[in-house]
Amino acid sequence: MSAVSIDTSPEEHRALERFYFHEARLLDNRQYTQWLALLSESVRYVVPSRVNVQVNNRDRGNEEMLHPDRELEGSDSMGAPLREEGYGLLMLRAERAYKINSWAEQPPARTRRIVGNVELMEREDNTLRVLSNFHLYYARPGSRQTLYSGQRRDVLKDTPKGFRIEDREVVLDYADIELPTLGLFF
Amino acid sequence: MNHRISELVSADASRISRRCWSEQWVYELEKKAIFGRSWLFLGHESQIRAPGDFVQAYMCETPIILARGMDDGIHASVNSCTHRGLPVCRSDHGNAKRFVCPYHSWSYSVEGDLVSIPQESEVSGKPDKSKLGLKRVPRIESWRGMIFGSFDETIVPLEDYLGDMRFYLDAFFDRFENGIEFMGAPHRWVLDANWKLPVENQLGDVNHGAFLHAAIIPREAQDIIEKIGHSVVTAPGHGATFRLMPEGAPVDEVAWGMEGVGAILGGAEVQEYLRGIQAKAAERVGDIRARMKGLTYGVYPNLSFLWSNTSFKVSHPRGPGKVEYWSWPVVPADAPDTVKKILRTNYSSFFGPAGILEQEDAEVWVQQFRGSNIDFAEDHKYFYGLGLGEEKPHPDLPGLVSVTANEFYARHFFARWRDELMAVEDAE
Repeated sequence: MSAVSIDTSPEEHRALERFYFHEARLLDNRQYTQWLALLSESVRYVVPSRVNVQVNNRDRGNEEMLHPDRELEGSDSMGAPLREEGYGLLMLRAERAYKINSWAEQPPARTRRIVGNVELMEREDNTLRVLSNFHLYYARPGSRQTLYSGQRRDVLKDTPKGFRIEDREVVLDYADIELPTLGLFF
Repeated sequence: MNHRISELVSADASRISRRCWSEQWVYELEKKAIFGRSWLFLGHESQIRAPGDFVQAYMCETPIILARGMDDGIHASVNSCTHRGLPVCRSDHGNAKRFVCPYHSWSYSVEGDLVSIPQESEVSGKPDKSKLGLKRVPRIESWRGMIFGSFDETIVPLEDYLGDMRFYLDAFFDRFENGIEFMGAPHRWVLDANWKLPVENQLGDVNHGAFLHAAIIPREAQDIIEKIGHSVVTAPGHGATFRLMPEGAPVDEVAWGMEGVGAILGGAEVQEYLRGIQAKAAERVGDIRARMKGLTYGVYPNLSFLWSNTSFKVSHPRGPGKVEYWSWPVVPADAPDTVKKILRTNYSSFFGPAGILEQEDAEVWVQQFRGSNIDFAEDHKYFYGLGLGEEKPHPDLPGLVSVTANEFYARHFFARWRDELMAVEDAE
């Protein structure tokens, strides 16, 4: 993906940022039910696994050799993505959070998401392909403090009620998974 | 002789000291007594099908290259150059003709032989390259495609080591005409926990399910386990738990995979596929095993198999307080790709680093390690006594059998663990 983003209007760019900042605030405020309302019910939520791959000798000397996508086992692969979820499972995760026996979140983590580098890559009718980066700071009493970093590759639908997430692929920047959980909403 | 270990595990293994989990000296003994002397799981033949194929593995903290040689044989070598010790292979998997050390370009064949020393031509004394290959894992054997290695040259054959555990493993493996396949590179999750608790959890501890996981698992699931659940220990450290479905139970209630999320998401295609496997199950594995609906499985010391979510796991120690927990989704090798892709979500939705159930387990493993480090509680050992002495032989099932609430699976594990560590203490 080397294409330059669309030279969109300041208004459209602002609308996308407002959407993502609002989403981040909902998640940091643990308002997962409200977050679910930002998803299309046909949403696909994928977190590829990240693999240490062999360099292909034939790619020596060109950029293809180092492309991060080579390291991903995503939903199209015959590998093992970390997450491949639809609305049902995301809803199950959201509902679980408000039960008193969701021990991995009791007490809940204090999180802060910073979303940036928002780029509109493609627009076709009301379907938008948008990239964004995030840093997610995570601190849980009695557990760990850690930083999650990644890129989100979204397909958004522009609906009369606002943007809805149709597809999200989360590319996480980890070497080994030294993170307490990958079950968060990224 | 005075054994420090015998003070940590009571004679009947019903009381276990916190120090079993937390102490560096205990861990050093574990390396010698257990990881140096057991059969350790390295990988599955489906991962290395073609000559030159390799995957990484570990034997405790020792990095291993598991490879299919040009001779089509299976080879396991320590991933560390004979010259200065660097790893000669840096990818999780792939296909190679040579492994080359970055430092001075000593190069090795996939079988582990030293092929070239570039500096050799400049000196007159030629090193004997035949003696300078990578350190080999001296024993490698496989059973049903599962490859194990051991550093103990005198260890019993793998089939004897697995013993009656094969009866239960076959209830799964033998269902599939063309075997199973491991998908992708393992998920490698590093947790601040001791390696033994994930093992214990997957060896027979199904009775935390409806309690720890009450946010997801309904109480009715526990009722079923209490009614038709069996826990088996075939030899200390090897065990299985499963539900033995009644004779004539409907195929949709018995069939492997049918209770997973994949059967719902995959619709008719996946469901028909799973029913097809079950239709042949009695013929392939016999009546009683065709009615088995597995839960957890453990092979001593650190291999686990979660039947219900079809995943293999290995608990690799990284010291007393750190574990690198590897897991893979496993699918029938001859399933269509569409079915494989659906079935892998049975694992990833609920287990692995993002699993909605296993995130609770990981929390427990980490907190248990904290609890194992506290002071002033040495006279207050952990209680492992539930169901003490209640396990019995069974007419149709090999091993000792009991209800799943009986913690005998863990007592047997720790009795073996204690005896093996004491044997090394004796020798020292």
